[in-house]
Amino acid sequence: MTTALGLALLCLAAPLAAAALSVVIPPLRQRGTPAAALTVLSSLMATVASLALLRIGPGPGAAARLTVPWMVVQGRALGEVGVRLDGVSMPMLAVVCLVALAVQVYSLEYLRSERPASYGRYFTYHALFLFSMNALVLAPELLQAFAGWELVGLLSYLLIGFHVERPAAGRAAVKAFWMTKLADMGFLIALLLLFVRTGSFGWDVALPQRTAEAIAALLFLAVMGKSAQFPLHVWLPDAMEGPTPVSALLHAATMVAAGVYLVVRVDPLFAQAPLTREGMLWVGTVTAAFTALLALVQTDLKRVLAYSTCSQLGFMVAALGAGSAFAAFFHLGTHAFFKALLFLAAGSVIHAVHSNELSAMGGLGRRMPVTTVTFAVGALSLAGVPPFAGFASKDTVLGALEGRAAWIPWTLLISTAFLTAFYMGRVLVRTFLGRPSEAAAHAHESGLVILGPLVALAIPAAAGGILGGWLARGLGTEFHLHLGLTPVAASLAGLGGLGVAFVVYGRGGEAPLAAKLAALDRYGAIDRTWTWLYRRALLPLSDGLRWVDRYLVDGLMNGLGWGTLKAGAVIRPLQTGRTRDYALAVVVGAILLLLLGGWR
Amino acid sequence: MTLRAFLLVAAFLFSVGIYGLLTRRHAVALLLSIEVMANAANLVFVAFARFGGAPGQPLVLFALAVTVAEVAVGLALVTLLYRRHGDALLDLASEAKG
Repeated sequence: MTTALGLALLCLAAPLAAAALSVVIPPLRQRGTPAAALTVLSSLMATVASLALLRIGPGPGAAARLTVPWMVVQGRALGEVGVRLDGVSMPMLAVVCLVALAVQVYSLEYLRSERPASYGRYFTYHALFLFSMNALVLAPELLQAFAGWELVGLLSYLLIGFHVERPAAGRAAVKAFWMTKLADMGFLIALLLLFVRTGSFGWDVALPQRTAEAIAALLFLAVMGKSAQFPLHVWLPDAMEGPTPVSALLHAATMVAAGVYLVVRVDPLFAQAPLTREGMLWVGTVTAAFTALLALVQTDLKRVLAYSTCSQLGFMVAALGAGSAFAAFFHLGTHAFFKALLFLAAGSVIHAVHSNELSAMGGLGRRMPVTTVTFAVGALSLAGVPPFAGFASKDTVLGALEGRAAWIPWTLLISTAFLTAFYMGRVLVRTFLGRPSEAAAHAHESGLVILGPLVALAIPAAAGGILGGWLARGLGTEFHLHLGLTPVAASLAGLGGLGVAFVVYGRGGEAPLAAKLAALDRYGAIDRTWTWLYRRALLPLSDGLRWVDRYLVDGLMNGLGWGTLKAGAVIRPLQTGRTRDYALAVVVGAILLLLLGGWR
Repeated sequence: MTLRAFLLVAAFLFSVGIYGLLTRRHAVALLLSIEVMANAANLVFVAFARFGGAPGQPLVLFALAVTVAEVAVGLALVTLLYRRHGDALLDLASEAKG
């Protein structure tokens, strides 16, 4: 077990070392390539370690911990930091490392045209991200999870705003930061509540009903922010301002899934909070259905995928709400692979046609065969077509709802599955089939460094479903697909959605349907509401707090100093430094004493 | 001659000394004023020794010796003051004033 724990530490130490070296030795970063090489190397080490852990780590039901007390005061530690290996953290670690490695290799080529200093900065952020994400995944207690959670939030901000010369990127970064930060307040309060009630940050505790509900609800608030659940989802589509590989890694595969991971992680806590779970079921369902509709009307390839990410996260949250941590976790894993694949393939397309707009694409199937095939694998997986990985996991999610007899969410999610297949069919047709646009006519297939990661990710995106049983054993449950209502309905929804899309869009161009559907885009309204809250509530509040700080708190301190100076100036003339004055004071004093003596 | 006359002379001398101390600016004049005050005290001692039988005379001799030492130090200071400023006005010694 010592070896396993050592490997887990390596998963933290390697990316951290790469980031630290790139930060401390500026030439590594400014030349670009050395920092990139360091980062990819460290990720390779972490990936190999994480895969080795799956073999030699603790078996099903077992856990291994290596922790040190942190912030020891009077012999009592505030919490523990370190690593925890079990059936939840090890698969997640492997997924994170694998996708991160694929994305980083892909970025080597994708960002080749950046200035060397930007190139180095990009990879430094990536190394730091992998460290933070692994720290979150391996956290033995919620305290470390919170630290990792905030760090990945920071790196999300930095990477969305990577193109510092673009104002839109800056705005999107700030928006993502403050929206998730707003939700993170819930995490912080939940942590404090947990500590006050139990004296530790462990999640495997029995709590009174109301406390458990409160903590679970507050944690879920943070999850809604991080995993872009309605109505806090508005930051995720804007986050597409970041480079495409960043969207693939942070805003599709790993970071946004951290919210779902957190709930899976602290499942014992949520198991004590049935009310919160009920709320999660509905929030997840509404998010899934609503954002799938929005995905339908986007004209920007990346934004389609972004809304699709919101929608799939909604599936996971609904599964969590239905009490099936395994279903959510399984879908998280397969989604990480096929969504990262879709984003990277989309990036390959965008790289070729120099535009995000669907109208600039079309007919790329002949010109970019590998990209097309891998994208199609990802799309079929996302659409839930059997036997792709997405089918197995989506079916598990729906099965969890069926098992709980939650028929309204079940119906909505089956419809969403249909919509998912439909909008992916639309993207497939409009990007790869039909008549090429002017830009698409001159497109070329990307290089091997870009295609390699695509092919590598296509394998788990297609066949990841077979890992379901193994994953279930790690979580102490069972997994089997059986022929029943849900698999049949889900398969029909997936195939049907794709078929309808091919019929509707097969003639080329946008269907007239879309113009009508565009009215559905209430994104603007929700977004405006948040903007209004930001301008009318948050900024005035900040101004008020700043006034209190500047004039009351600072005023008190400055006033004390000013008063001391002034008082000194008033009594300073008493000390003239002239002997005669002192002599006079002595004489007058002596006379007063004499008079006092005589008075008695 | 009565004790009262001696005490009155002593009080007068002491007052003269204080007046000088408060009004004069020259360091030598100040030293003289202090001497006058010290001798007023000495006069009181010997007057009580003569009329009241108090054993004050040894103390007076002792006080005279101390006064001489004090004058020696005082005059040394006056000399330094004069060398430094070309005059011996005590107010000139203001280097340490903040």
